[in-house]
Amino acid sequence: QLDHGCALHTAARDGLSSMSSQDVPAERPRAVFHTSESDPAKHTEQHEARLYNIPLEEVKAVFPHGLPHRFQQQIRTFNEARVMVRKPALELLAYLRASNFAHPAVRYVIYGERGTGKTMTLCHVLHYCSRQGWLVLHIPDAHLWVKNCKELLQSSYKKDRLDQPLQASVWLKNFKTSNERFLQEIKTQKKYMWGKQESTEEGRPLGEVVEQGLARVRSATDAMGVVLREIKQQSHRGSFRLLVAVDGVNALWGRTTLRKEDKSPVSPEELTLVHNLRKMLRNDWSGGAIVTTLSQTGSLFKPSSAYTPQELLGKEGFDALDPFVPISVPNYSPREFESCYGYYLERKWLQHEKAHTEDGKAELRFLSGSNPRQLDRLAGPL
Amino acid sequence: MAAPSAAGLGQRLRAWLPRIIPVRWSRYNPSYLEPEVKKELYQKPSEELTEEEREQMELKVVRPIKAAPPSLSSSVFSDPMISKFTNMMMKSGNKVLARSLMSQTLEAIKRKQLEKYHKAPENEKETIECNPYVIFHQALKNCQPIIGLSNITKGGKTYQVPVPLTDNRKRFLAMKWLITECRENKHRRTLMPEKLSQELLLAFNNEGPVIKKKHVLHKMAEANRAYAHFRWW
Repeated sequence: QLDHGCALHTAARDGLSSMSSQDVPAERPRAVFHTSESDPAKHTEQHEARLYNIPLEEVKAVFPHGLPHRFQQQIRTFNEARVMVRKPALELLAYLRASNFAHPAVRYVIYGERGTGKTMTLCHVLHYCSRQGWLVLHIPDAHLWVKNCKELLQSSYKKDRLDQPLQASVWLKNFKTSNERFLQEIKTQKKYMWGKQESTEEGRPLGEVVEQGLARVRSATDAMGVVLREIKQQSHRGSFRLLVAVDGVNALWGRTTLRKEDKSPVSPEELTLVHNLRKMLRNDWSGGAIVTTLSQTGSLFKPSSAYTPQELLGKEGFDALDPFVPISVPNYSPREFESCYGYYLERKWLQHEKAHTEDGKAELRFLSGSNPRQLDRLAGPL
Repeated sequence: MAAPSAAGLGQRLRAWLPRIIPVRWSRYNPSYLEPEVKKELYQKPSEELTEEEREQMELKVVRPIKAAPPSLSSSVFSDPMISKFTNMMMKSGNKVLARSLMSQTLEAIKRKQLEKYHKAPENEKETIECNPYVIFHQALKNCQPIIGLSNITKGGKTYQVPVPLTDNRKRFLAMKWLITECRENKHRRTLMPEKLSQELLLAFNNEGPVIKKKHVLHKMAEANRAYAHFRWW
């Protein structure tokens, strides 16, 4: 039986033991908007609108590729990673705790306007699942697979599909960092041939398949397909829980900007990565959950005012994802805004002398419209 | 009616004024008033207003108001020096780009200083200035030359004569040197905010190429002291 406790890399585990869940016995008391509860499993409504700290070693282990760019810059400047506990995340955590893993996987779609915190909600849920010991399959941005691809190879497995070796190898590397433990424990169930000479026997650990994909970049896409298939087939056994977390899931059912060599446009079905991921998102497996996020920001050929699932997924995507639980992420509530503003003040991020006054705060609230991204952008130069 | 006779009296008693006043590429009737942006004036109760302010408020009821220019802001965060610098950085009227470059520069300065602040030991923390606005103003002040040179032709030859500079000219020269330095002497791939933040931090510490340029100008003025009497103003 796999260990259901801490599923993290040994380095992160040492960091965790030093971080206790009592109040930090510091010289100055932490303000109202902080909480010292760094385990997402224990977050309740009491912790709403407060910021919790993720130790930096855990950040490197759990999120090798998931966090938004601005948040990563913030971690580097403040030397700590603080995530706000918000209602949509608490809702999702409650559903995950109450879900029956013998039933087929439930699909959750996080939607909301631009810059309201969908990706950060996904990261919060991811942190919870990796703390609980789940196997986390995280695709940081599905839009990166359907645009700006330098190399498109014809797939050796199926004639009319196209491979993307670079994207697949990057993903495999990050998957290895976040889920080391499971790669040794899950075994393959059939023999796979990579080209004419190389093959992986039945019963070898999945880590070998990942190594094969990283060593031979040409077969990285097929290696990723094998990994996904094995994990899906073995998830119902109950030895591990699987979380499929996809950011920007509307990319899988939209259009691409890629073209084949004869300048004809590529549709998403023709890409192997997209095809395999669509199979993962079907709810014909049990023993886990699927959490996805819609995103207009990186999307192709979608108007900037679109944010609902119907508009962004289109008919095809909506029918494919159809029985899903929608989770809406709104702008900051007044309490959350106070919390964020207080955090910026405490970390000396708001340096302008007028920003400390009531007038400055009212102006920030008005100009940002309580939108988290706008507040972050506005507070940058101030 | 009070208004026409007041206007007529004003016209007869004052010196000649044109019938319409050209302002900002459009010609406003002289009855138009300037827009008032200060919030404090409107929040004051009527007892605290002085006589002139009371008259102004009464005029505002009847007179039309000129359109506010885009650079006029009622925000508490607006700064005239920063606006001037942004306008000088602007190319072909692209104020959106210039403003975003300026805000990215301020953010870059803040990030660099905050990183230094968090890594420094306790006793040095007070010496590190993290406010990008303070750094900007101090850097510009450090770059301003005290004395300038002007070309004066006398007897067929042109001499570089040391000449005092007005405040506006000093500010303009400091900003111009900073922007030219950042546009020309940088690697092809470095972006403007990064280079500008670097230059501003150097100027804040009285180092860097712009300060050197100011010193060169001062030395030239000192060397040409003999021609100072050529100046007639």
